[in-house]
Amino acid sequence: MKQKKMVAMILAGGRGTRLYDLTKKVAKPAVHFGGKYRIIDFPLSNCANSNVSTVGVLVQYESVLLNSYIARDYVWGLDVPNGGVFCLPPREKDESGLGLYRGTADAITQNLDFLDLQETEYVLILSGDHIYKMNYDKMLESHIEKGADATIAVLEVPLSEASRFGIMNCDENDNIIEFEEKPKEPKSNLASMGIYIFTYKTLRKYLREDEKNNASSHDFGKDIIPAYLKDGLKLSAYRFKGYWKDVGTINSLWETNMDLIKGRASLDLSDPDWKIYTGDNNSVPQQIGPNAKINTAYITQGCLVDGEVTRSVLFTGSVVEEGAQVIDTVVMNDAHIGKGAVLKRCLVMDGVNVPDGMELDPGDSKDVLLVTKAVVSKKAGK
Amino acid sequence: MNNILGILNLESSSVHVEGIDNYRPVSAASFLGRYRVLDFMISNMTNSKINNIHLYIKNRPRSTVEHVTGTSYNINSKKGRIRILNGERNFSSDVYNTDVANFLANMQFVEEATEPYVVIAPSHFVFVQNFNDLVKYHADNGADITVMYQSINNAKESFIMCDTLELGEGKQVTGFEQNRGKFKNRDVSLECYCMSKALFMSLVEKASAISSLYWLSDIIADSVDDLKIIGYQHRGYAACINSLKAYYDANLELRDHNVLKNLISNEWPIYTKTNDTCPTLYKEGAAVSGSLVGNGCIIEGTVINSVIGRNVVIKKGAVVKDSVILPSSLINKDAVIENTVVDRYAIVTHIKEIKGTKDKPLYVKRRDRI
Repeated sequence: MKQKKMVAMILAGGRGTRLYDLTKKVAKPAVHFGGKYRIIDFPLSNCANSNVSTVGVLVQYESVLLNSYIARDYVWGLDVPNGGVFCLPPREKDESGLGLYRGTADAITQNLDFLDLQETEYVLILSGDHIYKMNYDKMLESHIEKGADATIAVLEVPLSEASRFGIMNCDENDNIIEFEEKPKEPKSNLASMGIYIFTYKTLRKYLREDEKNNASSHDFGKDIIPAYLKDGLKLSAYRFKGYWKDVGTINSLWETNMDLIKGRASLDLSDPDWKIYTGDNNSVPQQIGPNAKINTAYITQGCLVDGEVTRSVLFTGSVVEEGAQVIDTVVMNDAHIGKGAVLKRCLVMDGVNVPDGMELDPGDSKDVLLVTKAVVSKKAGK
Repeated sequence: MNNILGILNLESSSVHVEGIDNYRPVSAASFLGRYRVLDFMISNMTNSKINNIHLYIKNRPRSTVEHVTGTSYNINSKKGRIRILNGERNFSSDVYNTDVANFLANMQFVEEATEPYVVIAPSHFVFVQNFNDLVKYHADNGADITVMYQSINNAKESFIMCDTLELGEGKQVTGFEQNRGKFKNRDVSLECYCMSKALFMSLVEKASAISSLYWLSDIIADSVDDLKIIGYQHRGYAACINSLKAYYDANLELRDHNVLKNLISNEWPIYTKTNDTCPTLYKEGAAVSGSLVGNGCIIEGTVINSVIGRNVVIKKGAVVKDSVILPSSLINKDAVIENTVVDRYAIVTHIKEIKGTKDKPLYVKRRDRI
């Protein structure tokens, strides 16, 4: 008897420049989300719920907070024998010295020794910045059943938006015959979700070859998948149905949070069989003061609300004082909205103190306003 | 290494939280929408860096065992230990199931302990305290036994049936009485004692030799003339959950932010097992004020001055006022609930109104459908 073994590798090293100040000191996967979570809780919880118990997290950019967060593997129940969460930063090597991860594929290549050590049969490649719930075990079943060398999770997107994604063109059996990165004239609406399962032995060979190729950008989408296709390996598309969002920009981060107030119809985190786990911070329950008015909101423990909250999401420890109005706004951890302040269509960054009476909104812009300490000081005329 | 063995004692025989304690000891009852009552005393011990904790349960251990096991408290998972203990024998009647009988049955674990001091704390009281301060005070004063107490000025309404202290010079305890609600100002015992391990062992032996119905508090009261027993004044919030009214009152008074912040602060966190529940969704039409709300709720109705536990659903038109709703209950459309404690998993549907009074709150049973 042998157990099938799949190790997950979460790519969590990117800077996420389009999140501006939110990722100035914090890697994108560690950015807070949905009241009480961090973005990386989603792939980690999906792993835990899919019985994938060994998870490597490839970190690089500003990873101090991320490293210390993922070290507590019991948070996701991953503190099991033969499992755990492993932080894998770039390191000094005997042969090549100290080198950064040069691309998504290179990050895995530099940790082939880790995967060898795990004696894994399959490798699941995940991204640390997507919000979704997915059973990777089902995807592995499909990978094995189809005898694929690689399986790529795909999402059906409206054809009009397909040119924003990596698009998979498939035959009638969902075997991938062509991959196009952001095609101007898409032939299909199957978008890659950046979730791959590889049979390890084959992947290992291709990664070693890619490592030696100076012309390569060492990227899964740009180099490894095309190499597989060129050699006629079997690549299978795995269709995912459900909620999935990339939270790479301030607007998409705001929108994805706002989906939480739509309840079960949209992004629903209340399924007791598929919980999203997160590091608990021992905060008290939500304190809703005598003057509070709450109309459609998603609020978590540790919040203190005595003002008006309308169509908004409040993160742990945030405070809305008496007379303040928070409308269509996401208030991140420990931010403080002073008395009588009025916020419309804002995303208030962690720890920002909005003074009494200040009014903030994005004006005519179609973008939401990212409220940082600098924005507040500028508005206050300091 | 810490020099204290922590013992979380059984609730005394006068404790009766109507309804709630049919299903679990009071100490394991849900509190403030997210905690269990005993989280306060366990966190006091782990925050005081006590590594060796004995937790006594009389019966119905399931909720306590499920809650306490795991990694929720800040105690080392190897070196530290929360050991769940009980009498380990069938008592012919519940009156014999005293704390002394339980201690006696588990004396081996006290003997084995290397800690020179014992702090015995009640798991059905709610207060925060650094036990190292208590032990230091005890040692500095050369006491045999130190009893923690609180000076209160509302003894006619609160801490009913709790022990009170008569204090003499130098905070020497000269006698114990019971608070029958006759006086306003009292020094009530918080049933938290500090003594040497050796004295603890000998008192337990002595108590069982005198009477098999004796509790530790009885033998301590007997010893006021022979031993140096002194009081240690506790300041800050304290409550004893020994009746449904006391349970109800403590929940409701801690709704006030200014009261709550005296009990729970970042410097002295109260740990509890997380349920990994998502945040609470307030839907259109919800009207919530003056309340403490746990995570995972879906609220469409009106909630006024109440404590709402985790995963509670309050439907449109429902009104919950001055009430405590325990986790996973459902208050259906247009139901009106006032001055009531609703236990877990209850479903309130086919009734227009459930109204108790502030002095006599009503209780809705666990898993009840009404």
